[in-house]
Parts: sequence; structure tokens; C-alpha cells
Amino acid sequence: MNESTFFLVAFILYILSALFYLTFFFSKKPGRAKMGSALAIAGLVSHTFALILRTMESGHAPFTNMYESLSFLSWASVLAFVIIDKKFGISKIGPYLMLIVIGLVALASSPLMPKEATPLVPALQSYWLWLHVSVTLLGEAFFAVAFITSIMYLAAKEPEKKEKWDSVSYRSVAVGFPLFTLGGLVFGMVWAYKAWGSYWTWDPKEVWSLITWIVFALYLHTRIVMGWKGKRSAIIAIIGFLAALFTYFGVNYLLTGLHSYA
Amino acid sequence: MKNPIKFFTSIRLAIALFILLAIASVLGTLIPQGRTLEEYSARYGGLAGKLIFLQLTGLYHSFWYLTLLGFFALNIIVCTLTRLSGKYRRAFKPHVTSDPKSLLVLKAKDRIKKNAPLADVAAEMKKILSAAHYKTKEAAEGQRLCLLARKKIWGLFGSDVVHVGLLIILAGGIISGLGTIREHIALNEGDIRPVPKATFEVRLDKFATEYYPDGNVKAWKSTLTVLELKKPVLTKVVEVNRPLTYKGYSFYQTDYGDNWDSSVFEVWAKKTSDAAYFKKFKLKVGERAFLEDKDKTSIAFQKFIPDFVLGETNEPETRSLQPNNPAALIEGFRGGEKIFSGWIFANYPDFAKMHAAKDKTAETDLTFELKSFEASQYSVIEAAKDPGASLIWIGCVLIMLGLGLAFYWPTWEIKAVLEESQGKTDTILGGLAVKSRENFAAEFEKIAAALRRSK
Repeated sequence: MNESTFFLVAFILYILSALFYLTFFFSKKPGRAKMGSALAIAGLVSHTFALILRTMESGHAPFTNMYESLSFLSWASVLAFVIIDKKFGISKIGPYLMLIVIGLVALASSPLMPKEATPLVPALQSYWLWLHVSVTLLGEAFFAVAFITSIMYLAAKEPEKKEKWDSVSYRSVAVGFPLFTLGGLVFGMVWAYKAWGSYWTWDPKEVWSLITWIVFALYLHTRIVMGWKGKRSAIIAIIGFLAALFTYFGVNYLLTGLHSYA
Repeated sequence: MKNPIKFFTSIRLAIALFILLAIASVLGTLIPQGRTLEEYSARYGGLAGKLIFLQLTGLYHSFWYLTLLGFFALNIIVCTLTRLSGKYRRAFKPHVTSDPKSLLVLKAKDRIKKNAPLADVAAEMKKILSAAHYKTKEAAEGQRLCLLARKKIWGLFGSDVVHVGLLIILAGGIISGLGTIREHIALNEGDIRPVPKATFEVRLDKFATEYYPDGNVKAWKSTLTVLELKKPVLTKVVEVNRPLTYKGYSFYQTDYGDNWDSSVFEVWAKKTSDAAYFKKFKLKVGERAFLEDKDKTSIAFQKFIPDFVLGETNEPETRSLQPNNPAALIEGFRGGEKIFSGWIFANYPDFAKMHAAKDKTAETDLTFELKSFEASQYSVIEAAKDPGASLIWIGCVLIMLGLGLAFYWPTWEIKAVLEESQGKTDTILGGLAVKSRENFAAEFEKIAAALRRSK
């Protein structure tokens, strides 16, 4: 089996997982959620093999173009979901998260994304590629979980459920924020210093990472110092994830700068 | 602003600054930064002047953005300092005694009655707490014994460590902004150039571009040697991502270019009237060569243009530095007199005829072709000394350490008041956690259960 077969198998497993989660969503049978979770984990394993094979074939980290980084982001999102689900039991967001993952994987598979592994341009030939991109995208995956749980909070009616979504959302930010700070900002600055000779150049992608960071800093300060919870926290977390999403996608397609690879 | 300290400690100011900084930063990514007035005029028309006046075109270095950052720094300093003394007391000079009533209003609380003397229960309690990694202090208050058990006390200072880290980064940014030395140095192989504001020089020994099989660039490699008083002290192959560092300076591979002036061009001469005639010349720009050994006629390679185009005044100029349309100006001389001249093109070998100097319409029998135009490449090295960088790394370490403490090193506190009457001991327990309350609640229950089970 080669990389694309594993990728396809993962795609199919994610779709099956989403279907089981959807039937759980309507039938409320816990067995369905368990099946959904098992399929998501199976998909994750297959996806992991795809990423490993791609790394071995190309000889470099599997996130140097849009196809690769989308594939990695969807992998990280499933991983973040599986971790948070194991700890807090959030199978109800399964259908939403898996639908987003399917969307990302479908986008990665679309003909718009060139798939061939191209040799690395000199600027990307560094182990910082691994550290910077993987940790940042993992942080963003936890922001994605916080985003969905925040929406669930806004949609929920019963107070206990609301409280749970609020708490899980905070937990996801508490994991995502240090990861994003480390990967996006700290590792980004170290790498920029090594590759471009300056740790900070106000490149649009840098600025948007900073904006994302400020939004989540706002989330944490309003929550911890001012005791904001619930609706207002949920809205800030949603804005924060949208900022992260723009940092990831929008900057590449709408703004120009140094981060022109992916 | 009645009380400036109060103004700067307010969390509302922090929130306002977060929002303002975020909005200002967004603006700076929407308006291209640091372009020329012409570009802004073309893009924004009459608005261009206003944008420049409001410093929106150099936003991140503008007076008002820096003022926002200054307020942000003051806010952090004042907030951190005002909170620090309280935290210090709480961490290192805590009140060990507590009122049992105050414990009973806490979220985590318990009351345990045991048929044993106070000393035994206290000893048991301390054993259980120390097994769970709590450090216990005790104080007697009348008939009562108060215990204060805490763990991971440094977690209290997580946010302060993050804030100090941020301040150090801001300070590093200021020092970088004011004190960075940065200069691009273009070097041909063999060139020696002084390093700005330093006592040493650098020499480029070799410059090579490596390609992948598909033709894409794999690496630019500059072999650089540092010279102190003309003596080599250090040699390193500098690549993108692999700079050379020496005495606080870093040398980065940043650019390269074609150096046509030192390139050798191959020119072929033929005659229309004589198919057997063939001569090959290897010339640099400005060089001359005799056509025949005994002849007085010489040709000169006068000019080279990598991307030939006729400009507005019909003068030849280059469109780019890439050899897209390489052209050479060849001139012929006899004695000191110019007898013919003409442009020849590597891509269009048919344009090989020369024009006689006296009669512009007459064409010469001699024709020339430009056969090779391999440029020798020069390397552009950025020499930079950034005195703020080390502060940035210290700040980053502190921020990560502080985030780790704040999120994953939660301070937990368990207070107990023990009171003995008629050989029985009544214990009231209360627990407090700033973060990870769920995990703490579970641990608190476990500790209370362990005490209850004990003899």
C-alpha cells in the first residue's frame, strides 16, 4: 500500500465515523458514538501511515505545500478531538468535527491542490520546519475543538450542558494556547532569525499569528481575571479560531508576504 | 485620570489595549506597508496622502502604534507589581491558622470525626498529605491545631513569569530596533569586504548554486572566511538556514546575482563570402582581439545586455537581470578608426551582420554570433548584529515556562482545623484551587476518604 491508499482509507474511515456520529446524534444510542470514535481512531492510524510514507518518500516534513499542510491539519484535528474526547467525553461534537475534517481532507484531495512532493526550496530546508509547523497546527487543532464546543455552548439549552461545553472549550484553549505560542510565535521567531536574519519582520503571517494570540490572550484575561464565562467567552473563542483560520488560509491567498510556501 | 496607578492597574485598560492592538495590527496587514507614494496614489488615489499622514503606511513603527505598545508595557508592569506583593505573602508568609467557618463555605470541604486523640489524627493527616506531595505547616491556636498544606506553589507565579517574559521581549524589540546593524554585502569569488562597524573582514572563497534534477534550486552555498588583520580565522559554508556567526555578527545567504562584467563570452566570426572562414574569440566586456595575426583589424566586445530591449528613446536597455535576450555590441577597428559596429543576439543568430561606420546602410562581409553567455555569479550576504535577539530568546523561555506554570502546575491548598474534646477529634477540611478545580476536587475527596479510613 502506498501513501495515497492509506490517505483514501483514512478518508473513508472518517466518512464512516461521521455517519455513525450522525446516527448517534439522532438516535442517542451510546454504541453509535463508540463506533464513531473507534472509526475516527482507525482513520487516524491510517492517516498516520500516510503521513509517515509521504515523509519517507519525499524525504522532508509532510507540510510543505497546501495539500500536505491540509492533510496534516485534518490529522491534528482528529488527534485533538480524540484526546479531548477521551478526557472529557465530547462525542456529541463528533459529527461536526468529523464533517470539518472530511471537508479539509476533500479540499486536500481536490484537483486544485498539487499533490506531487516537490523538492524543498532552500528556505524550508531546516528541522525548524518540523517544529514550527507541526506544533502550530496542533495548537490550531485544539482551537478548532474550542471553536466547535463554543458553538455547541451557544446552541445548547440546558444549563448543565452549557456548563460542560464552556468548560471543555476552556480546556481546549488551555492546551491550544501554549502550543500555539510555542510553535507559531517562539519557534517561528527562532526559525525566522536563522533563515531570514531577523526574528520579526511584520510579515502578514507573523502579524496574523500575533492577532490570533492577542484574541486568545483576551479570552484568558477576561475569563481568569474578570470571571467572564459562557456566552462572551464562547464568542471570543470563535473569533480566535477564525483569526487562526485566516492566519492559516487567508494570508496565503489574500495577502502577500514572506510565507509564500504554504 | 485621577490616579495613574489605578488607571494602569485596571484590567479594563488591558482589555482595551488588546482590542486596539488587534485592530491596528489587522489594519497594517490590509494596507501594504512601506511602499512608495506612487504606489499608494495608484492604489488609493486621493486617500494616499491621508494614509501617509496618519502613519498607516508604516504602521508598526508609527508613533501611535508604539504608544499603544508603551501603554501595554506600563499596564503589564503596574499590574504585575501590584499583585506580586500579595502573591509573595500568600506563597511564602501565609496565614496558617484559619477559621473553621471560613472553610465550610469553600466548594471542597469535609468534616471528619474520629475516636482518637488530636495528636494521632494530626500525625495521620500529615502522613496522608505528604504522601500526596503536599508541604504542610501547622500552628496551634488555643485548643485547636490548624494545618496548611500546599503543593505546586510556583504555579501562583505563572502569569507573572509570562508577563516578565513579555516585557523582556518588548525591551529586546526596542534594543533591536535601535541597535541592529544590518548590511547587504555583495561579493564575487575572491572579494574581501569589511564588515560594518567591526574590526574584521569577510572573504568569499567560493559561490555555487546547486540544482535538483528537475532544475529547481537546491542550495546556494557561499564559502565564507572571516579575516582578522588579514589572517583567516574561520571558514564556513553559508547556506539559507545555515548562517555563520562570529563575534555577535551573523552572516546570512540572502541573494545572488549574475555578474556580467567578469564573465567570459564566446563570439564566433564568419564571412558571407568565404564559407571556410571561421574564428572563435573568448572575450570579457571591454576587451579587444585582432581578427588575423598579421591584420591590423581588431574587434572589441563593447557592451553586454542580458535582456535586450529598445527603450523609449530607442536606446538599448535591459528589461531585467535575467539573460532572457542576451545581446552584445561588437565594434571593429582598423588603426584607431572604427570601421563597423552592430548588435548581435544569442537567441537570434541571423542578426549577425555589422554596419559600416562610414556608410550606415552598407553591411560588412564579416558576421558575428554570440555563442555563450554564462555569467559568473556573485553572492549577497547579509551581515547583521542584533543586540536585542538574546533578550528575545530569554523572554520566549520565560513565556513558555510561565504558561507551563500557569496551566499545568496548579497551586492547590488544603486547610484543616482539628479540635479535640473528650478524646475525640473533630476535623474540618477545606480546599482551594485556582485552576484545575475538577482534578482538585477528586484529589480532595481521596485525601478526605483516606483520613476517614485511617484508624
